[in-house]
Amino acid sequence: MSELAQLQLVALGIVIFGILILLFIRSNFFRVTGFVSIVLGLFSLMSLAVPQMASLPPADETIDIASIKTPADIAALGQTIFFSKGQCALCHSIGPSESARCPDLKGIGAKLTKEFLYESLTDPQAFIYQDYRHGGVPKEYPATMPRIDKDPIGLSKNEILAVIAFLQQMSGEPISVSVSELEMPEQGPSDPVKAAQAVSVARVQGQEKRGNLWNVR
Amino acid sequence: MSHVVDRHGAWLVSLLMVVGCMILPAIGFAADSTAAGPTEYRDIPYIGSRNLIWIVAQLHLLLAGFVLGVPIFAWLCEIIAWKGGEQRYDKLAKEFTKLLTSAYATTALFGGILLFLLIVFYPKLMNYLTDIFFPSFLLYCLLFLFETATLYLYWYGWDAMQEGGKKTLHIFLGFLLNFFAIFIMIVPNAWATFQSSPVVISEGTAIERAWAATWNPTWWPINIHRLIANVVLGGYICGAYAGVRYLAAKTAADREHYDWMGYVGNFIGVFGLLALPFAGYWLMREIYQYNQQMGITLMGGFLSWLFIIQAMLIGVLFLGSNYYFWLGITYRIPGSENQYRKPILWMLISLLLCLAVWMTPHSLVASIEEAQKMGGAHHPLLGVLGVMSAKMTVSNLMILITFMSFVMYWRAGKQDTAPWARLAKAVMGAILALASIAVIILGVWGYFVPAIVRINYFSTSQVAIVIFVILTITPLTALLLKSAKTTTDMVWGRMPPRAGYALVLNAVMVILLMALMGYARSSSRVHWHIYGVMRDTSPYAYSPALGSASLIMVFCTFFFCLLVAFIFWVATMGDKAKGVQGTVKQDLPHGIPAMAGGGPERGEG
Repeated sequence: MSELAQLQLVALGIVIFGILILLFIRSNFFRVTGFVSIVLGLFSLMSLAVPQMASLPPADETIDIASIKTPADIAALGQTIFFSKGQCALCHSIGPSESARCPDLKGIGAKLTKEFLYESLTDPQAFIYQDYRHGGVPKEYPATMPRIDKDPIGLSKNEILAVIAFLQQMSGEPISVSVSELEMPEQGPSDPVKAAQAVSVARVQGQEKRGNLWNVR
Repeated sequence: MSHVVDRHGAWLVSLLMVVGCMILPAIGFAADSTAAGPTEYRDIPYIGSRNLIWIVAQLHLLLAGFVLGVPIFAWLCEIIAWKGGEQRYDKLAKEFTKLLTSAYATTALFGGILLFLLIVFYPKLMNYLTDIFFPSFLLYCLLFLFETATLYLYWYGWDAMQEGGKKTLHIFLGFLLNFFAIFIMIVPNAWATFQSSPVVISEGTAIERAWAATWNPTWWPINIHRLIANVVLGGYICGAYAGVRYLAAKTAADREHYDWMGYVGNFIGVFGLLALPFAGYWLMREIYQYNQQMGITLMGGFLSWLFIIQAMLIGVLFLGSNYYFWLGITYRIPGSENQYRKPILWMLISLLLCLAVWMTPHSLVASIEEAQKMGGAHHPLLGVLGVMSAKMTVSNLMILITFMSFVMYWRAGKQDTAPWARLAKAVMGAILALASIAVIILGVWGYFVPAIVRINYFSTSQVAIVIFVILTITPLTALLLKSAKTTTDMVWGRMPPRAGYALVLNAVMVILLMALMGYARSSSRVHWHIYGVMRDTSPYAYSPALGSASLIMVFCTFFFCLLVAFIFWVATMGDKAKGVQGTVKQDLPHGIPAMAGGGPERGEG
């Protein structure tokens, strides 16, 4: 039996416990207890019925530089980071989207140079992007771009370069980030995390996209 | 007697032995430390240090909410009695103040346990927080001394300070009690909010550093939100207590008293509930402004389903509160049920529609397969209802409907006699209709403007409109009813048993909501003890999925309910003994079952 099924069984047990009390016990206090049990059991059953997602901490990065042979490898890693640790896709869209909170990044790699992109990620307020594509006054976005190299996102230089490589690749541009620009980080691998075993019922956000070379999140 | 004592003694020894056996493995506490550095974390077998801290912290917070909410509730009742002359409010205030001594002790007990556990299990974090906040730790101790002294004077001086200037002094003591209690709440709020929204701590004196950390972006939104929530908790717990006592009431007098108490508790709960969404909105806005990442983790990330569950709990709370008002109209004011049946039906339908919109998911984390099935990241049909513009609109409408339920209850059984009554009613109707239309127009318009315009102007305008409605219709109704003729007197003690259960349900919903949002606030920090400053490197640096977390919330809610029941039982033990000595058990009229609302004939008191 899966862990989720076990938990559902526990919640169902709480509901049945409450129903039995209401059916067979006359004492008002216990009847109220039974009623509360039913309410709490139903709450648990409902919480167990929605998609179960846990939030795991990111593992420290481990980079196997030797296995990165081409700029396309760097861009592939950049794509992984873009949709996971970098959390770029939470605000930015690739292609027009009315619900995006920040500018559309489609074609951005063709529009901006590598150096400008790097500065935009590490010092976003250096130049303010004005979006005139909608006509009239520039469109204002509600979100302020955070510094990507600082906490809480805290991408390393290698990761930022990989994201830039991805942005260039998806804009149809030649990737200007070379393998020789990558640096070996100083941190070692992280301690094992109990969470991985403890939340086996959970599907981890972004985990499917985890790369083999960089243990991103 | 000695046999009983022996038997209890044996039971206690057995219990202690069982507890001892359970604790034995804990001797093997695990301690995590760096090779040369001090211990950063310790663990406990089976339950785990994080889960134990979670449970104790949640219970402490719930108890704290209770002991801060009850004095506000009691003081308000005392003022009503003092100004209005209705002594039953004074009696009610005293009845609840009596709980405070044992409730404070229990809260302090859990606070002490929490502190020791934090020092034992999270020494690195506690060292860091102590280094920043130690001046406010000292202030906190001082506040406890003041609060305790004031509580003793307030409670033990109740009977001695009933007349003239002494009563004024007693009211002032009640004010002081709440004044210190609010500071007791906001000082530790600073420690908790600093963990979520830390600010840069510059160099300076200890007090300057502590003050800088205290004045963090989410401190005041949390202070206001918790203050209102405590009033709501205090009101609904009073209601639940009255509901349970009402169900068990054996005399007509008891039924009347606890029916009335349930009404007062529900009223104060609803009174706070109307303001709570505004405070919650402000808090979320500040979180987004502080760190968009955190806001998205809450509303659009792995916690997004939690907000759907939250919407459902709030919806049940609104429905429960309205249902109780509607039961009141039907059973306490004979003859009103036919008059108000249709409006009640429309209100119910409107509330359910609003709830359906509020519960519509939007930015959910979906797998690629799920997204493909939906044809995009958002559901093509429901996505349009799941956005904040729609949710803000329906939450405002639900507040308006609940307010109108109350006004309806207030006006039931009364006939207007003022010559301007017709005009006043037309004005009130127009205000309500125009306000509802304006709220809906702003909600629809919100789809077509940038989010920042909607957040800064449209949503705040919706809130302002609802507040305007409440602030105009309340005094107008009060003026109207001042000269109104009572056609049907309010009859207490007639409510059916389901009214008692509705009151219990409301209290459980509030407690569950507090447990749920505690988990949300803590999880929004993801793998940080102090967001972006001190990373959680323990084996528990993860947030569990909602399902498994819900079982801990359920345990905390259930255990808290038992604790409150125990506190009520202890506090009223003396009254029962007095009651048995002083009264003769009365038979119920017509030999009906000793269940409240068991069906006494109309017209009997």
